[in-house]
Amino acid sequence: MKFRGRHVVLSLVLLVFGFLISFSYQYTQTETRVVQISDQEWEKDYYYRQQLLDLEAKNIELRQQLNKNRRQVQELEEELGQQQTNIGEFVEDKKELQMLVGELPIQGEGVKLTLSDASYIPTEENANQYMVHDRHIQLVINELYSAGAKAISINGQRIFHDSYISCVGPVISVDGVQHPAPFTIAAIGDSDTLNVSLNLTNGVIDILVNDQIDVEMEKKDTIEMKARIS
Amino acid sequence: MWLPALCLIVGLSLGLMTDITVPDQYSNYLSIAVLAALDTIFGGIRAHLEGLFNEKVFLTGFFFNIILAALLAFLGVQLGVDLYLAAVFAFGVRLFQNIAIIRRVLIDKKQKNVEM
Repeated sequence: MKFRGRHVVLSLVLLVFGFLISFSYQYTQTETRVVQISDQEWEKDYYYRQQLLDLEAKNIELRQQLNKNRRQVQELEEELGQQQTNIGEFVEDKKELQMLVGELPIQGEGVKLTLSDASYIPTEENANQYMVHDRHIQLVINELYSAGAKAISINGQRIFHDSYISCVGPVISVDGVQHPAPFTIAAIGDSDTLNVSLNLTNGVIDILVNDQIDVEMEKKDTIEMKARIS
Repeated sequence: MWLPALCLIVGLSLGLMTDITVPDQYSNYLSIAVLAALDTIFGGIRAHLEGLFNEKVFLTGFFFNIILAALLAFLGVQLGVDLYLAAVFAFGVRLFQNIAIIRRVLIDKKQKNVEM
């Protein structure tokens, strides 16, 4: 019985011992295998990690560059917008100037003067004294311009900066186009100012009246003038 | 005599067949348990050779040593001190002592045999 008990104890211990030994062996083997694999792949892992880091750094750099470029683009766009508004303003200015110069039709408030030869001519000899001459027209036009008229026309023909007015017998030639009396001078501008400036004492109208010329003047809300036909 | 050998084979195959994976932090316990078992086995052999073998002492020593070693390792982990090294050291020293004694006893026996 004692012998048997000893055997049982021995076998039990050996069972546990064997189990432990083999299990440990197996475990260590698997562990070392894992370690070996990681050892083998360590260099690769490091390499890839380094690559990743490099890529990330590059990424950041590129991102910064992208941001910079975006900012530049935005600045350029703003500049472009500014330029566009400038161009718009310039276009407006140009239009206005073209209107003033006569390359575009113009319309606005103003005054209309009608100069006509004196209706009563006492003697035929002095008929010349009772007629409207180019100087009268020039006087009126100069006065209107100095009063701030934007555009002037005679009998619907616009006066430009290079226009000339001359007397051709009983008619007046404006840029070579002859106009008989009466002469209607229209001026676009501030009608009150023009009115006052024409009606000054010893002003244009007084002179004209002294020269026996019938002068009619009226304010107009809208006067239209055509553009120069070139 | 065949029962212990059979049990050893069964234990070995059982250990090889089990697919339990021990987490890394418990590998210390396993190694110390193996060491304790080894120590006890050699202690048993030595006791047997010296004629002092007691199966009760052997059995309790076997399991008690394993548990104590695991406990020591556990305590070491909890305290942050590698206490399992103490167990490894102690078991290692005892292992060598036991083996040395076994060797001596065996040599003595052989010499006696030769003299006789």
